[in-house]
Amino acid sequence: MNNPHNWRYSLVGALLFVMPVLIVLQMLRIKINPLQVDKLISEGKSMSGEYRTITPARGRIYDRWGHLLAGNRTAYEVGIELRKVRNPSTIAQTLNMVLGVDYAEALGAASMSATDTAVYRVVASNVEPEKIDQLKALIKQMEELYGTSRDGDAPSLNGLLFEPHLKRIYPDNELASNILGFVTVEGVGFYGVEEKYNDLLAGEESIVWVSLDPIRVKEMPQIQKGADVILTIDRAIQRSMERVIDNAIDEHGAESGTLVVIDPKTGELLAMATTPRLDINKYWKYGEVFTDETPFNRIVSQAYEPGSVFKVFTMASALDSGAVTPETEFIDTGVFEIGGTRIYNWNMGAWGPQNMQGCMQHSLNVCLAWVATQLGPKDFYRYMMSFGIGQLSGIDLAGEVSGRLKVPGDDDWYDADLGTNAFGQGVSVTPLKMASAISALANKGRIMAPHIVRSVINDGYQHDIENRVVGMPIKPETAETITRMLTRSLEKESSDALVTGYQLAGKTGTAEIPTPFGYTTNETNASFVGWGPIEDPEFLVYVWLERPESSPWGSVVAAPVFREAVEELVVLMDIPPDEVRQKLYGQ
Amino acid sequence: MEHIENITQAYTQAPWRKQLQLIGLFSLFLVFLALVAGIYLNVSAQTAKAGRDIQYMKTQIETLDREIEDMQSLLALLLSDNSMEKRALGLGYEPLEIDQAQYLLVPGYVDRDAAVLAPFTREYLAKAPVIPDRYTEPLIEWIRKQSGWISFSLPEVVP
Repeated sequence: MNNPHNWRYSLVGALLFVMPVLIVLQMLRIKINPLQVDKLISEGKSMSGEYRTITPARGRIYDRWGHLLAGNRTAYEVGIELRKVRNPSTIAQTLNMVLGVDYAEALGAASMSATDTAVYRVVASNVEPEKIDQLKALIKQMEELYGTSRDGDAPSLNGLLFEPHLKRIYPDNELASNILGFVTVEGVGFYGVEEKYNDLLAGEESIVWVSLDPIRVKEMPQIQKGADVILTIDRAIQRSMERVIDNAIDEHGAESGTLVVIDPKTGELLAMATTPRLDINKYWKYGEVFTDETPFNRIVSQAYEPGSVFKVFTMASALDSGAVTPETEFIDTGVFEIGGTRIYNWNMGAWGPQNMQGCMQHSLNVCLAWVATQLGPKDFYRYMMSFGIGQLSGIDLAGEVSGRLKVPGDDDWYDADLGTNAFGQGVSVTPLKMASAISALANKGRIMAPHIVRSVINDGYQHDIENRVVGMPIKPETAETITRMLTRSLEKESSDALVTGYQLAGKTGTAEIPTPFGYTTNETNASFVGWGPIEDPEFLVYVWLERPESSPWGSVVAAPVFREAVEELVVLMDIPPDEVRQKLYGQ
Repeated sequence: MEHIENITQAYTQAPWRKQLQLIGLFSLFLVFLALVAGIYLNVSAQTAKAGRDIQYMKTQIETLDREIEDMQSLLALLLSDNSMEKRALGLGYEPLEIDQAQYLLVPGYVDRDAAVLAPFTREYLAKAPVIPDRYTEPLIEWIRKQSGWISFSLPEVVP
């Protein structure tokens, strides 16, 4: 019965027994040994997929009519997949020729040996699609010419990779650049709206696991794109105001110029034109444009002593408190002493008997210092604070500074400050704060929160920002009274600020510039503020020219700029002349 | 005893038949296995294909999103203030001066509104379609309602 081949059956049987046992043992080893478990799981994971960072498209920025001011455009990251490189010198030469990458740097990157940790090397970022097309064409040409060559030294661009992504683009280049700010290659917003609303515009970056195994592909989480914002800015008005201020700087040889247009009834900023401006598509030239300590946006970031335009606050406060009336008489002797300091008029003259209308019309420092004393320091500074002087306006732009208002009790406040503050000396404010605070005079005593963002589009829905009242420093009657006084002042002075067909209220300002050694005598800050049409104000314009050379006086250099701005505004805003308006109302 | 053995032998199946039956059974098992494997492979292949399609579509979505952004930016470049001004001047238009403006009352003219680029939240909610309960409620709830409807519909029995 003994089969000579029995050993073969035994061997097969033994193998069939041992193999499952080994399998079971291996399973146990994998399952039980914790070190092995972690290692194998991580190895398995690394081969089955990858973690990918998903950066949502940055939200767009529009003007109030829906014109795109900031959008996105495809750009490429150029890299080298080290494992696939065949000819490093071809890659280096090509990158140098097409992208301008340093040859030695590119050669070094392409010559690196691929290891477990070094597989890919970035050589250029933010490359324009046109350059990528050139590179792709070269790759194709080389493939056709040398693709089948077995020569190791044959030219080859194997290993070059292009990864697309979105980069910021500003279609209007310099237009409204001081308002918009810019976004760096890392996707971080700097200055203006880009910085203030960076979190909202950028959206939320997500790291997601992407399976390379098609059977295990899962739905990608919905990454919400960054929110879009609609600004209060009107592109056409902004453009026009930038031209007006640029021309004014050229004409008067000013160091810088600033022009703000605000809707006093809503607090919406229609234009903020200032210098210098940067082509924000080339933000890396920032250092060339903003030398020394030049702020990115003077309107919110540069406080200065405004001079006589500040008198509107003093007079409005005194009228509101009842300390004076428009008819109150004051005899101007040409000098007024307060706290041991003598205050003189701008022309060092004595103007004799004047009522408050005359004081404003002739912009008399002596009179306004006296008015401040009639009001008293307590009430004067209470009013100034209720106008928001020395405080931030709260505008939704990055980099706002508050300026400085010294008040009784401060170490550096003296009695004389009451007199000098009354005509805008010894107090610093930003152009935006001036425009915002004076808008109370044009808006029945109410100050609206100045803002630059009108709406936010998030998650597919538009949310409008509501206009808010942030203060009511004076009564509506006072606002009307001072508006009438300033209208008459302009008309009686036959000011260069007058615009045919429109009744406007306004005030000039000429301020000496403080230095560590006292006030300058030959350099000034020339300003003008005005609003209209006075029956139903639709705009308030604030002009500031820094150190004009043609003339130091605000009435000579800043008032005509205001007129030019208003002449443009009434056309762009479809504001009919008073005569037509009255007829329209009559109908 | 021999008789019984003869009977048993007479009813015992021939060895070749038994082998045939075993082979048949085994073949049936193999066919079954092949069927299961075939179905499994088919489903797996379909899943893999769907997975690949999803991956491809994801890439497509990303590409299309970028293209949309590119198109929007291109449109903005074409409609930029500089570009529009050049085109207008090229067509013979010139900037309007204040003394050239004439204001006319046009009956029915409505001034332009500020940009509305997306629906407002409350408007959307008002128009949002209402999904019937039967699409969202649990099955048990649906049955309970249905049974309630039936019992309600039945004529009441007066004892």
